Amino acid sequence: MRTRAGSTGRTGGARRRPEPVGSATRTVGGRARRRPEPVGGAARTGVRGGRYAALRGGARNAGTVILAIALVYAVSACSVIPTGGKSVVAVDNERKGNPLGDPYARVIAMPPKAGWSPEEVVTGFRAAMASLDDPAFQVAREYLTGDFAAKWNPRSGVTVYRQGTYEKFAPPRDEDKQAQVTLKGSKTAIIDQDGRYRPSGGTLNQAFTLAKDANGEWRISAAPDGLLLSEADVARGYLPVDLYFLDSQWKGLVVDQVRVPIDPAANFAKTTVERLIRGPSSSLKDAVRTAFTGTELIDVTIENNRVVVDLTRRVDSDLIDPMSAQLAATLAALTKGGWGFEVTVNGESYYPDASLQIDAQEHSNFDPWTTPDAVYPFYLAGGALQLLDKENVGRSVPGRAGQKGVGTHPAISGQPVQQVAVLSGDGRSVSVAPLAAGGEWRDWSTGVSLAPPAWDRYHTLWTVDRPNDHASVITRHDGDNKHRYRVSAPDLETLYVKSLKVARDGVHVAVIVKDGLGEQVQVGTVIGERENTRVTNLQTVVNADGNRTIKDIAWKDGKTLYALTGKSELLEASVSAEPKSLPFDSRIESITALDSTLLAGARDEQGARQVLFWNSTRWESLVKNETGTTDFTEDGPAFPAFPLS
Amino acid sequence: MPPAPKKRRRTPRQLLRGVRRRVRRVAGRARRVFWRSLQLRVVTSTMVISIVVVAVLGVFLMQQIIRTTLETRESAAKSEAQADRNAVLGYLSQPAAEAAKQAAEPGQALQPVGSSPLSQATEALARRAGSASRYSVIIRNETLPGAFYGTTDIDPVSIPPRQREELFKKEAGEDSTWYTPLYYKGQPEQPVPGMIIGTRLDSSYEIYHLIPLDKEEQTLASVQQMIILVGAGLVLLLAVISSLVTRQVVTPVRLARQAAERLAAGRLDERLKVRGEDDLARLAASFNEMAANLALKIHQLEELSQVQRQFVSDVSHELRTPLTTVRMAADLLFDAREDFDPMAARSAELMQNQLNRFEAMLADLLEISRYDAGAADLDVDSVDVRDVVLRAVADSEALAERHSTRFDLRLPGEPCMAEMDSRRVERILRNLLFNAIEHGEGRDIVVSVAADRDAVAVAVRDHGVGLRAGEENLVFDRFWRADPSRARTIGGTGLGLAISREDAILHGGWLQAWGSHGEGSQFRLSLPRVAGAVLRGSPLPLVPPEVEMRRTWRGHMTPVLSPAAADGGRDAD
Repeated sequence: MRTRAGSTGRTGGARRRPEPVGSATRTVGGRARRRPEPVGGAARTGVRGGRYAALRGGARNAGTVILAIALVYAVSACSVIPTGGKSVVAVDNERKGNPLGDPYARVIAMPPKAGWSPEEVVTGFRAAMASLDDPAFQVAREYLTGDFAAKWNPRSGVTVYRQGTYEKFAPPRDEDKQAQVTLKGSKTAIIDQDGRYRPSGGTLNQAFTLAKDANGEWRISAAPDGLLLSEADVARGYLPVDLYFLDSQWKGLVVDQVRVPIDPAANFAKTTVERLIRGPSSSLKDAVRTAFTGTELIDVTIENNRVVVDLTRRVDSDLIDPMSAQLAATLAALTKGGWGFEVTVNGESYYPDASLQIDAQEHSNFDPWTTPDAVYPFYLAGGALQLLDKENVGRSVPGRAGQKGVGTHPAISGQPVQQVAVLSGDGRSVSVAPLAAGGEWRDWSTGVSLAPPAWDRYHTLWTVDRPNDHASVITRHDGDNKHRYRVSAPDLETLYVKSLKVARDGVHVAVIVKDGLGEQVQVGTVIGERENTRVTNLQTVVNADGNRTIKDIAWKDGKTLYALTGKSELLEASVSAEPKSLPFDSRIESITALDSTLLAGARDEQGARQVLFWNSTRWESLVKNETGTTDFTEDGPAFPAFPLS
Repeated sequence: MPPAPKKRRRTPRQLLRGVRRRVRRVAGRARRVFWRSLQLRVVTSTMVISIVVVAVLGVFLMQQIIRTTLETRESAAKSEAQADRNAVLGYLSQPAAEAAKQAAEPGQALQPVGSSPLSQATEALARRAGSASRYSVIIRNETLPGAFYGTTDIDPVSIPPRQREELFKKEAGEDSTWYTPLYYKGQPEQPVPGMIIGTRLDSSYEIYHLIPLDKEEQTLASVQQMIILVGAGLVLLLAVISSLVTRQVVTPVRLARQAAERLAAGRLDERLKVRGEDDLARLAASFNEMAANLALKIHQLEELSQVQRQFVSDVSHELRTPLTTVRMAADLLFDAREDFDPMAARSAELMQNQLNRFEAMLADLLEISRYDAGAADLDVDSVDVRDVVLRAVADSEALAERHSTRFDLRLPGEPCMAEMDSRRVERILRNLLFNAIEHGEGRDIVVSVAADRDAVAVAVRDHGVGLRAGEENLVFDRFWRADPSRARTIGGTGLGLAISREDAILHGGWLQAWGSHGEGSQFRLSLPRVAGAVLRGSPLPLVPPEVEMRRTWRGHMTPVLSPAAADGGRDAD
């Protein structure tokens, strides 16, 4: 600025030029500033030149310095990687699942080699059956004779065995035209065409007949249809997947546990969603619905930290929420809740102007019962119904139910109209009282011998009457007991149903039945509503075992239930796995569960009671009394019950 | 060949020819520009050289980077493969019972009961390898049934058969590394560049580590892109620098050239600015000196020429006065020649004739010195050219009759108005006609008139001996004669055509001659319709049409000549 003002003042041309006022004052200022300088223009130029020279010298110095630095860098040839400072690259350290699947090992089918013995051929055939690369089993068929290869059907289910060994035979002689190899072991499960994994027992004694083909090589000429896989093969090649479908009211999520063969050409998420779109397995076929109708999967990829599901068509606009919930719930096992989702259609965003983003926890927003929180258990204490609060202190419920004189086996319905149903002490009536001020007991059902009542998520009460030891009548009462519907259950009507519990998804139902073999736990599905209600597809999850009685069952979630046996066992059972024993406290007489919380009503030798709580390592007493201790007491807490337990 | 397809085939060929011509024209123009611009040449050669240097350096650098990157990856992969091999050996050597026991332990629940050691080994390797983007493993033993495992989604077809052969030729435990595309299940069309390290255990177990190198490729591709970008930038920078430097040299040279051009165009006061003391400044100084000297010389010459012209003019003037007296005396003598004896009478006649000629010559000399002095000016008026032609022809009629020559007039039906000085144009035409009569050897003289929007033209055609090649311009020189031995029969002064040319130029028109030996000659006068307008073409051809036609017909056999002839006929069209 200063130099400019000075120059404007100095040059005559600039002074002659008509100038705006501002610049005129600047000229004056410049002149005023110039006046004190004693020497003339030449001296000033000298000064200026000197300054320029200094500047130029400085530039030269700077240039030299830069050149020197560059030379040092170039010559030293080290320090390419910075030795000081902090990295700015951020890697997502969050623990997340990998929706695309973890690394796995897989069997690669190899064709038979010349000169193999019959046993080697059978071993190769078993390996080829376990191979996932070859969906048409082309390589496996190379182990078969031509005639048999055309007949063999690999798709009629999978038999899973354990510890297969070959029965020892004398090695075949050269002139033999036929040979037999027998695989022995124990059967552990079957996987049906839907992919349902059903544990089963029995011994495996599978014979393979082999014949020599035209080249003198052994080939299998007779073997069972379907695949024969070892447990290791199944663990390696089949992905256990929980598919989630919707109940008949589009409100709840219903789990369908299947195994899908791992497809090396697709990632786990794609395999899973593909199976989800294919629909439920046969046991749930009529009981559930799916939002994926008329659409197909193109691919599942990961973009911008989201799992992107690309479909061929949009679903109905009112099914977008159910579809989102289905996707989120089904993929939750793979994503471990750490990934959001996005649905695209043919690679374009779902809506014309916006994309469809799905929260990782969408399914719990959609159906709160999938991951319930802040739900507290009820229990009976001294004949009155109590609700446990945060501090583990009981509190009487409002209404008559909170007063003395309640029956046993309370069952609590879900929100918003909360009711309690109890079985009278003699087992002849079931009474219901609303959990509200002034709620009175009313008898809803009377019978010869009633089983403990159970609520489902639709506010209907399920009661079972057993006129005799070989007949059971299942009744469904709607929310205010105005209507009662007889439930059609052909498999149960001729049996003694000891207890019936409807799972919180409203579709699965678990029953304790007693038949000639003993007491066993079965799981079935509820189909239809009101008078059309049926219970079908019953399947044993806890086998009868002699005199073993089953005292109580409780649903953990939609797929797992706990069974309390008379032989002091606590079993965790599900349709897709063998029952698993949990550590047991011999005082336990009843159980209830909600998601990961497992409670038990216990009575010690003195008849004192307390509610126990499984903290995943051992049982602990739960309910505090007035003094803040959790001792067993006479008339203490008993029959803990979560809503819809 | 039938004519129809031939016709169809001509069009594309013509198109092609057109394209080729255009390309050639553009290339020619580019070549001209290239050879005319020093700056362009310097910039181009700088660019070419720097491109070569940068390309060589870039390739070398790139190869170095590729080698280093791959070597690092390869050595890392090899050590990993070594570790994996040992792990597999451990799995395979432990007894099956122990493996089963180990598997049955609660902590090892991941490993299913009853799996073979090989599958356990593969699973362990799969966990170690992590996702397939790090590496995949394939283990196989061809001799054992079912002993063929891979991890995740690698496709075993990735292993080239030749690598297997090599592996079996080598000692067990020796690595064999191949760079080959890797195929993954589900993407058979998109192989990933990769590396396979194969090893054989002591038995016939083969272990392959398949390492995808797509990340490395991406890195290298981006490095390559950077190098290319930087190289291009460098080349451009060099080009700009050289352009700037040459510009500093070329600009003064260009200024000097322009000054020289202007000097050549006659602006003798053109000078260059002398700035500094370098070579270019010295060039400018000497140029200026040269220009000054030239100007001086030219000035002197001009003065000399001026003096000469003045002298001619003065002499003509001075001769006039005595000539008038002589003329009066000669007229007297001529009128009284009947009284003289025949000899004297003949002398009087001769004197009269030569006096006429002398007078005409003096008049012409005066006229032409007026032009030289730049004193001639036009008296422009809009007239019909046909009238001017008719008048000139009428003036020449007597002479033509004497030479038994007939005129053949070819005038257009409608008037051909043009702005001109009719006196001068008439004089031009008269000169042309006299000239034609003189050299026409009695044959017909064709006078054609034509006009178009901008110009009018008159052509006078004779069928005499014509002109020899190169004489078309000489005819307009002062006192030039076709055959020095030939006497002037009509008594032309030798200045007629020169004056005519000056007249035509004064009009802004053209006076051109065409002649061919034995075919006669043609003179064409072209004038703009509006005085002062620039003439761009003539409505009449310079070469007579019949001659043109004859040539074309002859040229049918030598077609190369015809366009040239046509061009010559239409001159500046």
